[in-house]
Amino acid sequence: MPAGADLPRIDGLDKLAGRAAYVDDLPTPGAWHGATVRSSVPRGKIRDIHFDPAFDWNDITIVDHRDIPGPNQLKLIDVDQPVLAAGEVRHKHEPILLLAHPSVHKLRDALRAIRVDVEPLPAILDPAAPLTPDLIQYKSDNVLKHIDIRQGDPGPVFARAAHIIEGEYVTGSQEHVYLETQGMLAQWQDGRLTVRGSMQCPYYVLDALTHLFGRSRDAFRVIQSPVGGGFGGKEEYPSLLAIHAALLAEKSGAPVKMIYDRQEDMAVTTKRHPSRTRHRTALDKDGRLLAMEIDVLLDGGAYVTLSPVVLSRGCIHAAGPYFCENIHIRGEARLTNSPPYGAFRGFGAPQTIFAIERHMDVIAARIGIDPVELRRRNLVRTGQPLATGQIYKEPTDLPALMDRALDLAQYKARTQSHAEFNKSHPFLRRGIGFATFHHGAGFTGGGETYLASEVWIEGKPDGTVELQTAQTDMGQGTTTILTQVVAERLGIPTEQVRVATPDTSRVPNSGPTVASRTAMVVGKLIEQACDDLLHQLGRKSGDPEISDDIRRHASLPGKSLVGRAKYQKPASIQWDDKTYRGDAYATYSWATYVADVEVDLRTCRVRVTDFVALQEVGRVLNTTLATGQIAGGVVQGIGWALYENVVLEDGAMKNCQMTNYVIPSAGDLPPIRVVFEERPSHWGPGGAKGIGELPMDGPAPAIVNAISRAVTTTINEIPVTPELLLKATEGRGHG
Amino acid sequence: MHTFEFGRPADAAAAIATAARAKTAQQGADVRFVAGGTTLVDLMKLNVETPGRLIDINRLPLDKIEATADGGLKIGATVRNSDLANNAVVQRDYSVLSQAILAGASAQLRNMATTAGNLLQRTRCMYFRDTAMACNKREPGSGCPAITGANRMLAVLGTSEQCIATNPSDMCVAMAALEATIHVQGAKGSRAIAFGEFHLLPGSTPERETVLEPGDLITHVTLPAPLAGSKQVYLKLRDRASYEFALASAAVVLTMKGETVTGARVALGGVGTKPWRSHEAETALVGQAADAATFRKAAEAALRDAKPQSENGFKIELAKRCLAYALKTAATA
Ligand SMILES: Cc1cc2nc3c(=O)[nH]c(=O)nc-3n(C[C@H](O)[C@H](O)[C@H](O)COP(=O)(O)OP(=O)(O)OC[C@H]3O[C@@H](n4cnc5c(N)ncnc54)[C@H](O)[C@@H]3O)c2cc1C
Ligand code: SF4
Repeated sequence: MPAGADLPRIDGLDKLAGRAAYVDDLPTPGAWHGATVRSSVPRGKIRDIHFDPAFDWNDITIVDHRDIPGPNQLKLIDVDQPVLAAGEVRHKHEPILLLAHPSVHKLRDALRAIRVDVEPLPAILDPAAPLTPDLIQYKSDNVLKHIDIRQGDPGPVFARAAHIIEGEYVTGSQEHVYLETQGMLAQWQDGRLTVRGSMQCPYYVLDALTHLFGRSRDAFRVIQSPVGGGFGGKEEYPSLLAIHAALLAEKSGAPVKMIYDRQEDMAVTTKRHPSRTRHRTALDKDGRLLAMEIDVLLDGGAYVTLSPVVLSRGCIHAAGPYFCENIHIRGEARLTNSPPYGAFRGFGAPQTIFAIERHMDVIAARIGIDPVELRRRNLVRTGQPLATGQIYKEPTDLPALMDRALDLAQYKARTQSHAEFNKSHPFLRRGIGFATFHHGAGFTGGGETYLASEVWIEGKPDGTVELQTAQTDMGQGTTTILTQVVAERLGIPTEQVRVATPDTSRVPNSGPTVASRTAMVVGKLIEQACDDLLHQLGRKSGDPEISDDIRRHASLPGKSLVGRAKYQKPASIQWDDKTYRGDAYATYSWATYVADVEVDLRTCRVRVTDFVALQEVGRVLNTTLATGQIAGGVVQGIGWALYENVVLEDGAMKNCQMTNYVIPSAGDLPPIRVVFEERPSHWGPGGAKGIGELPMDGPAPAIVNAISRAVTTTINEIPVTPELLLKATEGRGHG
Repeated sequence: MHTFEFGRPADAAAAIATAARAKTAQQGADVRFVAGGTTLVDLMKLNVETPGRLIDINRLPLDKIEATADGGLKIGATVRNSDLANNAVVQRDYSVLSQAILAGASAQLRNMATTAGNLLQRTRCMYFRDTAMACNKREPGSGCPAITGANRMLAVLGTSEQCIATNPSDMCVAMAALEATIHVQGAKGSRAIAFGEFHLLPGSTPERETVLEPGDLITHVTLPAPLAGSKQVYLKLRDRASYEFALASAAVVLTMKGETVTGARVALGGVGTKPWRSHEAETALVGQAADAATFRKAAEAALRDAKPQSENGFKIELAKRCLAYALKTAATA
């Protein structure tokens, strides 16, 4: 079956039938349960840990920071985060002690028999709050990462601009709400540790373990079990949980399972960075962008984790898909005493795209120009530079893409009919809004070069091939897509392709499953590995003898047949990490999303009534899966825009239950019309580009643009809860 | 979850006798009846409820909906919420009740949930449901973190210094407006309790939510004969279209002569510490023209004593609009 021919999801039936064994389903005779004692304050000094003497502690394994064999550091971009607090806590819920016992009940009682006395220290909970010396906890200024992107010289341009428009845009945090909560199982045997669990990046976990235990890589084996959703939430956090389980397993001598329940998972794991973006924009009298000053502020939480790279992607996308000669983007991720914020689908881009796409509508309204026209005049054309100076080379026609989406949504006709409707209806208001945007596929800048991903494809004695990568399937369809890529490149039936379980003792490091890089970057490598295999066989793709050849070669005693490929930076990609100039991404996906909304002024209820998601993502490998990705992302975007409100108390999420963290239900969703414009790209397998994160970027600005038009108010903040709308429409809903 | 004993008594008397051994029928009860289990089992999993014994009442003959001699309706304690909502008589004569039930929970939950269980469903206050937190309702005297904390969903009517938790039921709001009566059989015989007297305000004892005593088994609920020609509406405002508790809701039963309101029964949900019958709104309606000004006045009257907390002030205006909108819909139906 060729690519694009909708191979059904390979993992689908097992999951549907309940046969897929998630980590909590794994049979583990003799396994103990692990639990975590956490800080109850955002910042403080640990004075004393009190164990109730009436409780029988004999058979409880207790681990604290002194049990850590190597450096007490969670290795990621920086090493500032301890895996267990030593003397000081920096955020509420920070892990202090670990406990293990065969009985969950006794474990729960044990948790209650421990009291940690913490002397509170001054905490900073708002990244924009003024700093006093006693609040400084990272370097000299709490700035976890600072980024400057400069193009031209905006300063002097403002003096001669016809219009100067300013705006401030605020986005809230967001919880991933993957179906399967975080879980890890750790087992030591003969000095070697095996960790199984729910994760996106087995090699991140391996690195973190190696660093903390101070042993070599072959002391560890990390295996991904089936994963029930990730959305970025299982990018960095699983490393911490794996270490916790491993420490308990080492000390207790038993296999240890740590499975978070929903409440703990929501309270303690990473979430989307809250953001505040300010725009100051100079335009000429026709609405052409002359200069943009953009200030991005992310709340990073208590440790560095991935904030620098989230900020990086956010900043690079902050000026949108527009051409402007003078740009200064200034970004900061600052420390607060919140649990660290982390990777979440879109990785900083949804925040800054919300800002720029709202800002474009604000500009249009202020200078009295049609928002479509404003964008048409400024959308980047092939051959023009984006904010980092990257010249976009692939042929693409953004105005045409925008027009097609607007046509599909009957934008013109509806704008008119809504205006009529709004004049006559006593309390319902309708609006249509849109966003034009782009999303870079793959790691930012030099990231892919640094990763140096490798993939193998091994011929088996039965004539099949096994694809060996560290790419994980968390429900998005990696296994299926990569199977298609292999089958198409080798010209063999998909039934003859197996995909190895990501297991660091068996598969090479092909990098993490993040950043919309799997299908495109790793897929391209897989094509090269297939070519290598064909070359070794002396065959061309589709030769009928391939299977027999593989069988023969792979059966030779002492021989193995492996096609290999390793990422090499294409000469055409240039990036300078110091100046932030150059090709930030090999390529981008482009899109226009259109949302139709209806607002009830009396009840402050917003309904998204129609949604068009049109994107140019290169060639679509599997229409069913791609449509699912886009529709799912749109739903998550609708949730972020309207429903999902992470309420913080002492810097940590306090509404940690499915009954008070509201995600949209099927009843809240409009028809989502997913449309692809296929324009094969040079960068991905069979012309594909990354699509995983793109759909998270557009819904929020499209919806809020629509609401703002419907109620003729400027709303620059999400989520748009009833109380926010009530305030914005004060005095208008009595009818 | 803690371990517990499970029993399925042969008749009501045996069930009552076992339950009567409990020290309390309120928070902390060591014996609990279990009906649909959709409230109780959830709270047991969270260790908020830790009964040592469960008495399954699902097989007792309490599952009928029957006409009463005085033209009203008798609804058995274990009648499923879906059966009640879809009952033809209920839909015809007590449609506000049907609308209210269907506005709650999800189809699956309604298929399990029962009349009595719904009467006794507990607050969704997140501190109440989290045993790591203080909560006066769960552990009397431990404090109420909601007053300074997350109170967006909590009550603005009937609150006290000790507790501001909302009664989350939709069904109860309709029953309050329909003037239902709750029938209980207990260790000391049977009694009938007017709906307005069944739930208690939190006051200084938020752990006491109803007048039930150990051993009290709700056997059925009766509704008085329907008001001829009444117009009934239940309106619920919530954060999403389904599977979500009310930010504010209103149940209204109106009778009119021409353009004048002749009778009104009004109750509010999502804003009170108990299902909130509003006699104030009713007084403001009866004898008045059924117009926007009257409805707004009634809404103002209903919320006159509302007390906002740090996050839920918006619910006062929302509840007013909800009631005014429900009244208008009923009047023009
Ligand atoms: C996710 C979710 C969403 C929900 N959304 C809504 C909503 O939007 N609106 C709404 O109104 N409700 C909602 N509910 C609540 C639901 O309506 C209640 O859980 C249900 O009505 C309880 O009925 P039950 O039979 O399952 O009660 P159970 O859980 O069996 O019992 C509840 C309590 O009543 C006691 N009890 C039961 N029967 C008797 C009896 N005959 N005599 C004395 N005591 C008795 C039990 O001992 C227990 O203490 C929701 C629930 C869930 C889980
Ligand atoms: S409002 Fe009531 S239920 Fe909630 S925390 Fe306070 S006392 Fe407990």
